[in-house]
Amino acid sequence: MVNNPNLQPSTFNPKRMPVITGLGIVSAAGFGAEEVWGTIASGTSGLKPLSLFQSSRYGQVLTGEIQRDLIGLGAPTRSSRSDKLGWLAARAAIADAKINFRENGERAGVLLGTSVGGSFDSENFLTTLIKQGKVRARATRFHECSSTVDLIAAEFGLFGPSMALATACSSSALAIAQAAEMIMAGEADMMLTGGADSLARMTWGGFHSLLLVDAAGCRPFDVTRGGMSLGEGAAILVLEAEESAVRRGAKILARLSGWGASCDAYHATAPHPQGAGATAAMQAALRRAQLEPAAIDYVNAHGTGTRENDVAEGIALKTVFHNRVPPFSSTKRNFGHALAASGALEAVVCIEALRRQVLPPSPGFSQCDPAIGLEPVTELRSAPLTHVMSNSFGFGGNNGVLIFSKPDTTPQTRAPKKIQVAVGGLSVIGPGTLMTKEISAPFPLGSGLVRSCGELTDAVALLTPNQRRRLSRLQQMALITARHSHAPDPAQRVAVAIGTGMGCMEDAGTFIENVVAKDEREPMPARFSNSVHNSPASQVAIDQAARALNSAPTNGEITFESALWQGLSQLATDEADCALVGAVDEVNKYILHLGQRWDAWTDKIIPGEGAVIASLAPAEKIGASLARVTTVKLGRYRKPFDAVREVDWITSALDLKNVGIVLSGAPGFRQLEPLYESVSAELDRRAGKNLEHQTYKQLCGEFHSASAFGFSQAVKLAREKNCGVLLFTLSLRGAKALCLVEP
Amino acid sequence: MPSLTHELKAKIIESLKLQDITPEQIADDAPLFGTGLGLDSIDALELVVLLEKDYGIVIKDIEEGRPAFRSVQTLAEFIAAKRTN
Repeated sequence: MVNNPNLQPSTFNPKRMPVITGLGIVSAAGFGAEEVWGTIASGTSGLKPLSLFQSSRYGQVLTGEIQRDLIGLGAPTRSSRSDKLGWLAARAAIADAKINFRENGERAGVLLGTSVGGSFDSENFLTTLIKQGKVRARATRFHECSSTVDLIAAEFGLFGPSMALATACSSSALAIAQAAEMIMAGEADMMLTGGADSLARMTWGGFHSLLLVDAAGCRPFDVTRGGMSLGEGAAILVLEAEESAVRRGAKILARLSGWGASCDAYHATAPHPQGAGATAAMQAALRRAQLEPAAIDYVNAHGTGTRENDVAEGIALKTVFHNRVPPFSSTKRNFGHALAASGALEAVVCIEALRRQVLPPSPGFSQCDPAIGLEPVTELRSAPLTHVMSNSFGFGGNNGVLIFSKPDTTPQTRAPKKIQVAVGGLSVIGPGTLMTKEISAPFPLGSGLVRSCGELTDAVALLTPNQRRRLSRLQQMALITARHSHAPDPAQRVAVAIGTGMGCMEDAGTFIENVVAKDEREPMPARFSNSVHNSPASQVAIDQAARALNSAPTNGEITFESALWQGLSQLATDEADCALVGAVDEVNKYILHLGQRWDAWTDKIIPGEGAVIASLAPAEKIGASLARVTTVKLGRYRKPFDAVREVDWITSALDLKNVGIVLSGAPGFRQLEPLYESVSAELDRRAGKNLEHQTYKQLCGEFHSASAFGFSQAVKLAREKNCGVLLFTLSLRGAKALCLVEP
Repeated sequence: MPSLTHELKAKIIESLKLQDITPEQIADDAPLFGTGLGLDSIDALELVVLLEKDYGIVIKDIEEGRPAFRSVQTLAEFIAAKRTN
């Protein structure tokens, strides 16, 4: 038996089917569903020349920029631009769903896709630093991709699971899919889910360096198309268990009846030329919904307007629908490509199309491309719509597909199974030496001691020449760790969930420094393709030929547990035979700087780095396993912190009788130390004995993925001491996680 | 032209961080992409940056550069032609 309540039979209930009861949208095509639909219906472009920041080189390029006063509309001032967009969409969605979280905040969570995070504001910080030599710390406080999720949860009082995913352009589609799995598994009754991404110099310079931007605006599927248009925005859905919606008499806008994920495992930025991953993701969504391809009445295509995407997607559509492709369109010219938010923006288009029984047109298209041989919908027209599909494909070949259905349909969505999960392999790159890192210009902010994994020379020598010369250290750490935890088996469906708190800051920081210092001359395309948070996960997928879900959660100090949850969920829904889960973070001048500004590190525990990857599979499929993972749960803690309430939360998920050792994240960040200590004391009181308490950050240092190192210690202790080990982790921004490892 | 091809080889090795190879080991007409040096589409974009930075040649569409990127020889001819224009 699995203790995890998310896998218990009571949750296999048709009443747990996810429905949409509210939505909020802010975009270049308008604010709110009515305004947006006006733009969609008239086939109008939402694109304008850029005004958000100076771009001497590309300033006249048409862009989906939001040109409204976000603070004037009520968004919090102490936040990044992405945070503001997300907050405005969340406020609108909550109002639309008529929810009061004061009554049921514990049963409500938030799960968003984001790729840019607070980059726009951090770039302003860096620009001021480089050009004027002034330090303005506040801007960098919202840098992390999880900032928007933490802000929304704190502002609106949600205390269920919270998580951010960063898989580039498929982020919000995968976030919505994961939120649906949380609802079906009984982890929450409601999830605010979708995505938020602002324009930023990083993505602006990056996509231009890839020569993927069409200055005249995107023309998806058209023979003359010359690339994409960048955009920004946020869309948030209120996804709710059907029984919860019925109980509170909420209006049901649509159902989410299917979702699917896949990875091309082909290239860092380009799609598979025959659309293999896109095909697999659409087929996975149909399988989840238990629908035949012919049941789909409309597809909102990814349709970016790049040559490669539109050809590959066209081939995939013809394959999935056996050459009878349903009406389809791309709404990218309405919005611009809002990257991580695009899947959520297009989910709103799909829901509105279902409600209005109208097919949205595809602006920018006029002439069919013989290489594609398909024509999208060109004019708004009425059509009976029952099931519609939305495609999102991202860097690293990360694909997510959603299927929305009319409220009056009877969903046949496949539910998770009850399974035992075992750890088949585990590998760690941990810190060896204590070393000093020099901090060089433009960071005149001192230096500090860090726990470093040192040079990876010997291990890197085993990688291919292209992996050695092209990939940065963070990705190499992930590749090496994955190779040691798992032996590829072509017969296996392998899912990858490798999180990172800060991502490839070495690449992102260098790229931005260069853009600012050289005023957009000499861009760095290789740095940009490395800079996305999902580059370690997608490089592992290429190396291991892992073609099931590929995800990169980024969630503060519970980044690893978020990856673990996703891996277990893929196994429980039989979407994968094996899940490679883990987390990776490195210490470099950018990260050290961000940490110093927060003044968070104690003298005892210094900044660290490392990579941990575990290979998980259903226990019956593994001969000899290292340990079992029997419970994983995510949530948020209330302030003021109450240890009694937190231990209630822990004991609602597991029986303390099964716990012999408690591994906590203390000592570490000084704000969290007293909280951990109070929980440890309360756990002893509840257990009626002194449990064995151990810590791990004295070994690995403090960093976002440190709890992954804690997990490796938990597996080791469970084996050595033959007892259950509880790993309990708190994040600085209010999230918490528990994980029980048993022999 | 021989000096340009030699210069290009050194620049390619440096900007693409090619390891364990010297300019002398790259034949003028050896394919850069696919089977030859094993470069890929992101390397092509790095070459676009190199052409702009060191030779003032701006390529806005990768298709435009594709014939030039076949080998060091074609790249040198492309640069020479642009210079005389």
